[in-house]
Formats: sequence, C-alpha cells, structure tokens
Amino acid sequence: MSDNNVMKGGLGTGLLILSVIVLLGSFGFVMYNLTVHGHATFNVSSNLPWGQPISTYLYFALASSGLGLIASLPLVFGFKQYYGLAKRAIFLAFIILVSGMAVLALELGHTFRMLWAIPFNMQIQSAMFWMGVFYAADLLFLLWKFQKMESGDWDSKATRTIGIASFLGVLLASGNLALIFGMMSMRPFWFDGLLPIYFYLTAVTSGLAALVFFTYLAYGFQRGAMPEKLQQALAGGLPKLFAAVLGLTILFVGVRAITGLYSNNPEIHYVWTEYLFASPVYVASVVLGLLVPFALMISASLRVNPGIQILVSILTFGGLFAERYFFVVGGQVVPLFKGTWAWDMIQYTPSITEWALTVMGSALLFTLYVLGEKFFNLSAAPEQPMMDAAADQPRQATA
Amino acid sequence: MAKWGMVIDLDKCTGCQACTTACSMENNTLPGESWQDVLFYHEGEYPSAQMKWLPRPCMQCEKPSCVYVCPTRATYKDEEAGGIVFVDWNKCIGCKYCMIACPYGVRFYADEQPLVEPDIRDVYPGENGQLWSPPYQNPEQDWRRGIGIQPKGVVSKCTFCHHKVSKAPEGVADLDEDDPDLVEYVPACVRTCPPKARFFGDLDNPESNVNRLIGDKKGVRLLDHTGNRPQVYYLGAGAGIPAFSPRKS
Ligand code: SF4
Ligand code: SF4
Repeated sequence: MSDNNVMKGGLGTGLLILSVIVLLGSFGFVMYNLTVHGHATFNVSSNLPWGQPISTYLYFALASSGLGLIASLPLVFGFKQYYGLAKRAIFLAFIILVSGMAVLALELGHTFRMLWAIPFNMQIQSAMFWMGVFYAADLLFLLWKFQKMESGDWDSKATRTIGIASFLGVLLASGNLALIFGMMSMRPFWFDGLLPIYFYLTAVTSGLAALVFFTYLAYGFQRGAMPEKLQQALAGGLPKLFAAVLGLTILFVGVRAITGLYSNNPEIHYVWTEYLFASPVYVASVVLGLLVPFALMISASLRVNPGIQILVSILTFGGLFAERYFFVVGGQVVPLFKGTWAWDMIQYTPSITEWALTVMGSALLFTLYVLGEKFFNLSAAPEQPMMDAAADQPRQATA
Repeated sequence: MAKWGMVIDLDKCTGCQACTTACSMENNTLPGESWQDVLFYHEGEYPSAQMKWLPRPCMQCEKPSCVYVCPTRATYKDEEAGGIVFVDWNKCIGCKYCMIACPYGVRFYADEQPLVEPDIRDVYPGENGQLWSPPYQNPEQDWRRGIGIQPKGVVSKCTFCHHKVSKAPEGVADLDEDDPDLVEYVPACVRTCPPKARFFGDLDNPESNVNRLIGDKKGVRLLDHTGNRPQVYYLGAGAGIPAFSPRKS
C-alpha cells in the first residue's frame, strides 16, 4: 500500500503540536472564564438560552452522522467504489462526535450530574433522553466497527451486522436530534415533522465536506499521492453525490424560506425577514457556502478538479456551520409571550468564550485526526471486495 | 388533594408591580429573574392604541411542556402538591431545554450576565453552594422543589409559594389574605396585591371562590392553542398578549 500520508511525517507532527497548543489554550481560557465568571461569560440569556456552543455541538454531531451515513454506502449497501473512503469516514465520524460532545459538556450547567441523572431517571418522554441513548450507541458502534476494520475484518457476518446496527444508530441519533427542535410546537420556526430529512441531508453534506477535506489534508492536498482506490472515489462517484446533496440542501433551505416568508405568523415570518435575510452573514453563508459550491459541483469538469474539491469542501464547511448557527438562534430570536412589550428581536452574538469553545472543539478534532492518521492506516480497504461471497467464512472473530 | 389555581383580574390590576416585588423578596430572586413579572405592552396603533399590562407567574400547566422535555425529571409536576411544577435543583443539569419548551417564557437560568450593575452576586458572593448569599434570606429552603436560593447551573421558576401554601389546613377551598386564619399561607404575590386582583384556591373544589370567579367572570387561559392548559386564569376584558412585531423607530 502506498504511503504518501504526510500526516505520518513531520508535517503531521507540526499540525499536531499546533492543534494541541490551540486546544490547551482554548480549553484553559474557557475553563478560566467559567470558573471565574460562571455562565455569565456566555452571551446567552434566559430569553435566548441556546447559543453558539449548542449550534457547534449540533454541527459536529451532524457531520459525524453524515460521515456514518457515507461509510454505510460501501459497508451496508455494497457500493464498492467507496470502500477506500470507509475507514477514514468511520474514524472521522467518531472523533467529530467526541469533539462535539466535549463542547456540549462545557455548555451544560452540570456536566457530571448528567452522567447519572439521565440514565437513572429514565425520562423516556424527553427527546434529549433519547439523544443520550442514541448518540451513546452511535459512538459505541462506530468504535466497534472501526476496531473490526482495524483487525482486517471487513466482511464477516458480525461486521456486517455491526454495520447495519451502526447505520440504524446514526439514523435514529440524527433524526432524533432533529426532533429535539422539530417537536417544539411553541417555536414555530423549528416545528416541522420533516426536519429529520433536512438534518439527514445537511448531515451528509457536511460529512462529505469533512471527508474530502481531511482526505486531501492527509496527502498534502495532492490527489496523485493517494492510494488508487481513494483517487477513484474522489474522481468518480463522490463528487456527484456531493453535488446532489448540495442541491437538495439548497432546495430544503429554499422551501423553508418560502414558507416562512409567505406565512403571516410573526414567529416565523419575522425570523426570515428581520433576522435571517437582514443579516449579511446569513446571506453570504447561503451564497458562498451553498450556492457557489453547488454551481461548481454541477460542472462535470470542475467537480473532479482537486483544487475545486478542496475549495468546495471548505466553503461548505463554513456554510453549514453558519446554517446550524442561524437555525438554532433563529428559533429563539422572537421573544416568547412578551408581545409588543419586547422592543425588538432578542440580540445575540457569541461571546469570546463561546467562540473559544468552538475553537476548542475544532482543535480537539484536528488533534485526534492527526493522531489517527499517524497510528492507523485510515486509507485501508479490503484487498478485493467480497460483498458477493454470501456464505463467507468468518475470518477473524475478534470482539 | 387540592389542585391549586390562581385567578388574576385584569380589570382590577393597576400594574403596580407590588406582586413582582413581593415575589422577589419572598424568594430572593435576582434582578431580572422575575418569577412573577408584569408585562407592559401596547395594543393597536394610533388613533386607537391602548396601553395595557398583564401580570404573569408560571402557569403551572396541566400539560407542562417543560416537564415533558426535561431529560432528568428534574422538572416535575407534583399532583400531591396541588399540581405545582417544581425544579429539583439536585437533579437539574442546566441543559435549558425546559426554557426552550415553555411557551410562557417563565423559566430562568440565573447564572447569566447581570441585568443591572453592580452585579449583586459579586456584592454577596455565594456560600454553601448558593449562587449568591444575601444577608437576609427566606429561611425556607427546599432544593428538591426549587425553593430558596438556587445553586449554580440550574433553572429556577415560580413555585406558587409552595413553602406557604403547603402549610394551609387540609381541604381549604380558597387561600384568602383577608382571612386572618389563612393569611400566612397565601402566596406572596396574592397577599400583597393592593387592589385585590389576585385570587388563589382549589380548582377541584366546586365551592371555591376561584371557580366561581372563573365561571361568573368568564375566566380564560392564555395561549390556549399550545395545549399547555394553565392553572392560572385571567378575568377582565381583553386578556391576552398581542403578537410580537418589531418596532420601526
Ligand atoms: S408556564 Fe412554562 S414553566 Fe410553568 S408549567 Fe407551564 S410550561 Fe412549565
Ligand atoms: S435545565 Fe434542568 S430542569 Fe430544565 S430541562 Fe434541563 S435538566 Fe430539566
């Protein structure tokens, strides 16, 4: 197997050191502020309780789910051309989820209490209870699947069962995450039974962005340096899939916007007219983060170009980060039950500490990523895909 | 057991905020942490604009969406305590999902930026796990019901003054501050209301004054479309809050 993985060498070590420094710095900064000022160091308030830390968690959790869904293409549905991507996708899904959870942990009022209070009280009516259950299962299955791949077992019955379980876990976890918002009928901007579909789509979009970016990063942004299978995936089906999910994401944002603009309901209408479309950042995130990438990816010649792929993945990263942020905050900017007493929409911009939490999550992601590239062969794929060998021999029966 | 309900007569309410003040004294809440508040708003526009107000405690909903979303059962509705919705400060993890889910916006996460300076939490820093410790405190503390001064990282809300009403004699139909035998058990906001616009009693008792008032004076519950079914009723013309609209200054 070719090993031009630059993360294994000095470049990787450099990035690792940088990431660890940023991680420790941002973590220290957040911890200091939380200890000294408490949650007053955040700009959220009783009127707008969920801010950027929550949207960052949402972004990471969904990117993880997207990667899990992409990995299930070869592992569950037998799309062999994606085999080369599967192991890195699983690994990234795991570490992105861990990074997201780290951000969430520092947002909560009582992190450690959560560990006993949620399981021991079994409040099955709460979607947040199920978020705990499903994401814990998701994390476990990802780890298990990765361990199977690491031991070279790609295709035994057990592996495939774990693959299917993991696929279902991802669907449940991200679908339920959508319903945490989608079931809130008192917040009409979110209230939407189809929100899980929207989350699946955007999850795959952000997952693809992460996969493309980190795959290129591993090979110093040189496609020629990649193993054959990876090159095939990046020049073949993957860009088409990317274009398709970008298009569907735009469609979804579009219909949500049209419904919102059309509706007279002030709790939806004003969110679109006075908050989202009034914000240059939101408009820029839609144009640069979704429309431009889509335009680039529908061109058959451009979408296979490595430079374009890297650019699109970075743009989409930013676009969807903003999309999550505006989704979370947008559901809260109209004050509840204040009527015309409220002078204006609730103003919120993230504080430095909230930004530091986002930076911390990203630095943790990069740290774990470089470590993963260094210690594992994330481009590994089975020697010859054997999806057709149905009554196959159980190879290594570890775990 | 009684099912405690509150009736607020908007035709009598003068918007004086005595209830809000009494509540914050009784429960040692922080500035901005107004478990009981009076909303002031305008209805309509010139030349028919009206200035209106509406006192607003926690509605102690029959179907409390805050309870359904809470992942730890920290928020719970206690039918044994008259249907009051409590927050158990020993269980709350500060996820704030309940604040997202309450349609009435009556829950508070007091570990936030101060409403006024100087920050009173700096003036009286917290002791014994309290978020802040003012020199004069209500001696009633019950963290399992969110009574007293909260610790850090939890959500607080109106308790219908459970520490008072729970001591009322069994089977009493109404807690009326004019009755010398009952005055000590009346919620602080009801007891203090100068024009006697607030009433407190048992919604399950057909003889109670609160039921009579709701029936005779056409009591309504606000935001009824949410299905939360408050245990707080409003009397008087035009009970309701006009929809939010951004002001063009
Ligand atoms: S008014 Fe809000 S906090 Fe009070 S019981 Fe109803 S939903 Fe819960
Ligand atoms: S903040 Fe506390 S009371 Fe509210 S939902 Fe979370 S755990 Fe329950």
